[in-house]
Amino acid sequence: MFKKRLAAGTALATAAVLLLAGCSGQAADPKAKATFDPKEKVTLNLAFWGNDVRADLYNQVIAEFNKKYPNIKVNSTFLGFPEFWEKRQTEAAGGGLPDVMQFDYSYLRQYSENGLLLDLDPYIGGIIDKKPLADNILKIGVVDDKTYAIPTSTNAWGLFTNPKLLETAGVSDFEGGSWSDYADWMKSVTDASGGAFYGGSDYTGRIQNFEIQLRSEGKNLFNEDGTAGFDEKRLAKFWNEGAAVRKGVGIPQQKVEELTPLGAFDSAKTASELTWDNFGAGYLKNLGADYTELNLVAPPVTKKGTKDLYLKPSMLHAISAKTKHPEAAATLVNFLINSPESGKIFGTNRGLPASSTALAAADLDPLSQQIKDYETSIKDRLGDAPPVPIVGYGSLEEKFRVLGTELNFGTITVDDAVKQFFAEMDVVLNQ
Amino acid sequence: MSTTATRVIVTEDRSSAHLLRKSRREVDPVRPGQRARVRRETAAGYAFLTPWLIGFLGLTLVPMVYSLYLSFTRYNIFAPPKWIGLDNYIRLFTKDPVFLQSSEITLIYVFVGTPITLAAALGTAMLLNYRDKGSGFFRSAFYAPSLIGASVSIAIVWRAMFATDGPVDSGLQVFGIDLGGWIGNPSMVLPMMILLHVWTFGSTMVIFLAGLKQIPKELYEAAEMDGAGAWRRFRAVTIPMLSPVMFFNLLLGLIGAFQVFASAYIISNGSGGPAGMTNFITVYLYKRGFSDGQMGYAAAMAWVLLIVVALLAFILFRTQKSWVHYAGDDK
Amino acid sequence: MTSTTIAGDARPAVAPRRRIKRKTVQTVVWFIGLSILTVIVLYPLLWLFLATFKPNAEFGTNPGLFPNQPTVDNYGKVMEGIAGVPMWRFFLNSFILAVSAVVGTVLSSALAAYAFARVQFKGLGIFFAAMIGTLLLPFHVVIIPQYIIFNKLGWVDTFIPLILPKFLATSAFFVFLIVQFIRQMPRDMDEAARIDGAGHLRIFWSIILPLIKPALITCAIFAFIWEWNDFLSPLLYLTSPENYPLPIGLRLYNDASSGGADYGATVTASFVALIPILLFFIVFQRFLVDGVATQGLKG
Repeated sequence: MFKKRLAAGTALATAAVLLLAGCSGQAADPKAKATFDPKEKVTLNLAFWGNDVRADLYNQVIAEFNKKYPNIKVNSTFLGFPEFWEKRQTEAAGGGLPDVMQFDYSYLRQYSENGLLLDLDPYIGGIIDKKPLADNILKIGVVDDKTYAIPTSTNAWGLFTNPKLLETAGVSDFEGGSWSDYADWMKSVTDASGGAFYGGSDYTGRIQNFEIQLRSEGKNLFNEDGTAGFDEKRLAKFWNEGAAVRKGVGIPQQKVEELTPLGAFDSAKTASELTWDNFGAGYLKNLGADYTELNLVAPPVTKKGTKDLYLKPSMLHAISAKTKHPEAAATLVNFLINSPESGKIFGTNRGLPASSTALAAADLDPLSQQIKDYETSIKDRLGDAPPVPIVGYGSLEEKFRVLGTELNFGTITVDDAVKQFFAEMDVVLNQ
Repeated sequence: MSTTATRVIVTEDRSSAHLLRKSRREVDPVRPGQRARVRRETAAGYAFLTPWLIGFLGLTLVPMVYSLYLSFTRYNIFAPPKWIGLDNYIRLFTKDPVFLQSSEITLIYVFVGTPITLAAALGTAMLLNYRDKGSGFFRSAFYAPSLIGASVSIAIVWRAMFATDGPVDSGLQVFGIDLGGWIGNPSMVLPMMILLHVWTFGSTMVIFLAGLKQIPKELYEAAEMDGAGAWRRFRAVTIPMLSPVMFFNLLLGLIGAFQVFASAYIISNGSGGPAGMTNFITVYLYKRGFSDGQMGYAAAMAWVLLIVVALLAFILFRTQKSWVHYAGDDK
Repeated sequence: MTSTTIAGDARPAVAPRRRIKRKTVQTVVWFIGLSILTVIVLYPLLWLFLATFKPNAEFGTNPGLFPNQPTVDNYGKVMEGIAGVPMWRFFLNSFILAVSAVVGTVLSSALAAYAFARVQFKGLGIFFAAMIGTLLLPFHVVIIPQYIIFNKLGWVDTFIPLILPKFLATSAFFVFLIVQFIRQMPRDMDEAARIDGAGHLRIFWSIILPLIKPALITCAIFAFIWEWNDFLSPLLYLTSPENYPLPIGLRLYNDASSGGADYGATVTASFVALIPILLFFIVFQRFLVDGVATQGLKG
């Protein structure tokens, strides 16, 4: 009898504790600034990916942040990109994500749909300043009509060329044109180099080139509902386009493998590379002290007048759904994205700042200025951002890349590659 | 120690084990305290065994069962596992050319790499057996690589050594051999990995050497007096007498080869190598499970690996009667 | 089997000197042959050692053994560490893991081995077979569930998943080694102690343990080396760079994301990571080689 009462009492007590715990998590009215006690000492965990350089910049920004908010302590940790996500994965399963995270576009859907990220809508316009952020920027972090992340910076797809190599080859820069024009141009460089370097690599190895071609045709790579915007025939057509480049024009895959961990472009073995425009700084660093500048032009045009390019968030900031200090976290996010201090310190380390206040304060070195000018120059081709990448997009992107290398090796036919990619899509899209 | 004991120990032949024990128990008839003694023994046994038992149950048996269960599910660690029956296995064998390729290169690595390793180990052991004085230094020298072969350091060094225009490539070029590079070359990467495996032949060699030293010299002398030449002696004396050791080395060598991971992962920077040529099953399953978050699928792969290994061990154990000659039996 | 005739022992009694000389020649040839083989086998290690003195730029151009412009810069760079973690930290982590592995392994394996070898308990046969079975078990079958278990317990990014198994004798190699060793011991002393009233614990502690010291030392050395080289488990469980042991730290050097290719530092870091093992080996080689021989023979 006594035992029963004890059990009942325990159950009641447990329920009460749980109830109270649940209640205390609700914020009162986040729109009102500083519902939290600004004097309250709070510790936030911040995680980002990058390297020593970026870590140093973050430390500086946090120092500036603490000048304004001395009561909010920020513990920051960082990892390389793959390790960063492996760690987030285990934290997600165990329920312990950091309060504030640097976030990647390709994981946004998965994390938000699993309820791991805080809905930021209540804070936008309040703690998070809305004015410096353009509408289309804010739309980027929206999944299922809720904002789960805010871009720190954006980048766009562009074509880098190596002025030194071009000079050696005696070929002038790519003036723009169609994809076959680009292939011809690459050929002219490869031929002129006498075997020392190549005009470029097989562009059909990058899924983004496929994407902008599809966007020219008014389609998406993947739609919001998870279906693909292309069929086997279309993919085969794309990869067959690359056959001409793979035959003696682009750099052979074996050479690329030998260059790892460096890429072909930043080893000065290719004269051009299609990639995100914020890769420029890394390229310059790897190319060495001889290089002070690179050329940046628009990618080949699939169909004139279409808006095939778009601003992709190079990275975003998100807040863990289980954070104990949502307002403090939002304050930090706002500082990291919008503050002039952040803009000045980060410069273009994370890409071109998306916030106008940060951008204005950023000290743009020649390369960054070049990137900014580039993004202005392609304004006419900039369309709406595609839907947030589907869950598993990362795997698909990697599969595409691997298939590209095998096509370049010649160890697989286009038809087999298409079959494999669609098999992989089948698995991923049915998760 | 008596010869019987030695023979018993060398061959693990339990049939003669009874010769060792002093059979004290046979002398005592069943006594009243017997059952209690058995109980005490059992209690003591399990007491000593407790750590191992916990490890075996908690870290081996239970995970094995759980992984079998997972292999029939779709599981990505975010959401609970979803039962899908045999789908993973079906996909493995019908819809996944990467798995088929991965199996192919794993099998090549195991069934080409192991015999080469064994041959190198045996050959070197025989060389070392020629003479005791001075062989100690060489024995240690050959053993050293097996200690570090599976380390990350060596994987890095191997990659550097086989780079185009690296030491190996340049060395070959001196002889006029151009293999078209190693690391980036899909056709040469697998031989390079096998070479790395063979390089660690040291521990196998040491075991062969010990086995060789155990062969009574009388047998060789008798054979020589019969007029047997070196090759005949090898076939008639060395091979049969060495067969238990050969069995041991073959079994462990094959199984060890199936589990290659670190070297392949490092050399290919986690990608599975040029055109998937270092994408051994262990590497592929790691990528599927931990990079792609398809843990159910990875579990299915692991079980396929397990079944193959178990089958292999079973076949080896079954056939050993026909070719492994334990010294307990008379010729 | 034996032939009836004795092969004509018609070797002339002349020229014993020539026979001796042939033996000497054979020995010299043997020596030279083995030396050449040794150079080939040890070449990678030699190359590694000398490469640590090559300046970074030479790696593309000078594949030979000797650096054109030897430098010790690489060592300095390596000591600074990577990803904000100094080299000594990686060493410390490896050391902690390895020492813990040694303690755990020796303790738990000796206990289990004693049970298998000296105690007649019900189920011995089955469990012994099971233990041998785990020798043949591919580790990858259990890594995912083990990971899930440790993840649920919140032990990811701690050393616990790496150390705990060692205390539970999960590596049958060591148990088996000690079992075989114990079996070699005559039971006289056991029986004598038994008559004196000693229980198993007493016998284990006072009699068996001292006698199997060589086997324990062998186990300790192997456990240390294997743990030092372990790559997969730290890769799975440790995600913060401060926790990385050397193998994972080395991987960072090899990785692109940490800013380009510094071959000099990478190679030097690899060498530095190997030094403890090489030292161990040079000092303890007798134990290692003999231990391995014992294993193989008595299997």
